[in-house]
Amino acid sequence: MATPPDTLDKVGAGLDALDVPVEAHRPPIWRRFLKTGVPPIIAFALLLGVWQALWASALLPEFQLPAPVNVWNELVRSISSGEAFGILWTSLHRAVLGFLAAVVIATPLGLLIAKVRVVRAAIGSLLTGLQSLPSVAWVPAAILWFGVTPSTIYFVVLMGSVPSIANGLVAGIDQIPPLLPRVGRALGAGRFASARHILLPAALPGYLAGLKQGWAFSWRSLMAAEIIATSPQLGVGLGQYLHNGSSLNDINMVIAAIFLILLVGIGIELLLFRPLERAVLRARGLTGAL
Amino acid sequence: MTATLETTVLSTVDTAVELAGVRKVFGHGGSAVVALDGVDLKVKPGEFVCLLGASGCGKSTLLNIVAGLDAATSGQLQLNTSRPAVMFQEPALMPWLTAARNVELALRFAGVGRLARKRRALELLELVRLGDVADKRPHELSGGMRQRVALARALASTTVSADGAPALLLMDEPFAALDAITRDVLQSELLRVWETTNTAIIFVTHDVREAVRLGQRVVLLSSRPGRVVREWDVRDSSDEVLDEINTHLREVISGHAS
Repeated sequence: MATPPDTLDKVGAGLDALDVPVEAHRPPIWRRFLKTGVPPIIAFALLLGVWQALWASALLPEFQLPAPVNVWNELVRSISSGEAFGILWTSLHRAVLGFLAAVVIATPLGLLIAKVRVVRAAIGSLLTGLQSLPSVAWVPAAILWFGVTPSTIYFVVLMGSVPSIANGLVAGIDQIPPLLPRVGRALGAGRFASARHILLPAALPGYLAGLKQGWAFSWRSLMAAEIIATSPQLGVGLGQYLHNGSSLNDINMVIAAIFLILLVGIGIELLLFRPLERAVLRARGLTGAL
Repeated sequence: MTATLETTVLSTVDTAVELAGVRKVFGHGGSAVVALDGVDLKVKPGEFVCLLGASGCGKSTLLNIVAGLDAATSGQLQLNTSRPAVMFQEPALMPWLTAARNVELALRFAGVGRLARKRRALELLELVRLGDVADKRPHELSGGMRQRVALARALASTTVSADGAPALLLMDEPFAALDAITRDVLQSELLRVWETTNTAIIFVTHDVREAVRLGQRVVLLSSRPGRVVREWDVRDSSDEVLDEINTHLREVISGHAS
């Protein structure tokens, strides 16, 4: 041998020292805020400015384009009277319950489709098709089946979110590099151990993307169902609030409702899904994502 | 101790792996491809054997059959070892687990308890000199370090058995994707690990120099179908042996030119 072993050991230690990727240390919190917090605030302020200018130009009548301050007053009124919290609670708890039920149904369904060939052939494309069917299309049928009851609303929410979650899981499993389950087999993992320790964790990013989309679908399906199916029995959710605003020709209420719907959507994304996704992707070295 | 027990002990000492007339055919009828045609091979416990051949000689197929990932069409395979461990060209570490947890995964599948798992995983990482980075995830390690974690994991899965059966490590061109300096270092690392653990190794490569440097014995396979062409004892290798093996390998390959 040309080189003595202890020289090679030193070379190896040197390589290790050189090869370890340098950890980028995180910038201080104010700088991160400057980078990620400030742009959306500026964008929002610009939007408000354009809105205010349009209103001031009086191109559209007041009942079509309200003044920002009037919408703000409507929001303040509904919040200070406590009405907004009741409305938000009604809609949010429905959306969350519906979403959780969808997760419970869609996860085994997705696993079955991904791993059992017959099931995939039978209902795989149906599920993809359902994903492109607007769930509001189920509202008329659901009202005929269940009447104007919470069942109708939950049915529509489920039809909206189950396909997304199941498809996300299927995509996540399909994208697992085949070498990983193979390694599992070589290490002696049985079917169950392989699913538990290799397939499910490996499919997690795709599954999470499906969950995120499933949440978005259940939220907007819920809004569609609440707008169409209104009855005293259902109480007042965001959709009904919006519907009421429309019936009263109160554009301030309509815009305030839309604002609240958006707020929930953005809030859940920022508080729940974004941090979850970031943690999962960062652990795998996929730092390209925010 | 009874006489029968004596003989089994003797036979396990004698050979770790025995392949007799192993044949593997992929596909059926006219489109069938014979990957392996009557391969005989014996590996002693603790022996380091290099399987050498050009692409299409069925080296990987042979390794998969020994690993139990693939079944032979006909022929005999006898293993007197613990569960064989496999290392591939890619490290194939689970990207969501730390280096230590990757090694522990092998032990978990073997049913080792939590504390013992932790201890053994750290021991093995120390063996490949990666004790310091046990808590790093694969993406934080270099290619060579990842392959060493994979080596530790492979060792974990094959050296786990309590009955003292000899360990067997199957390596499918594990250093082919690494740069020359790293490969050089890892080859010496592997030799050191092999000497300390007394594991039998079947090492597949297409690099004659690598085969001669690492192995005690080099087995040359022909391509399509794969057969054993010749064997060399390379324990005290010289440049002549290297040239001779090279010549034979070239002959095997150029035989396919027509």
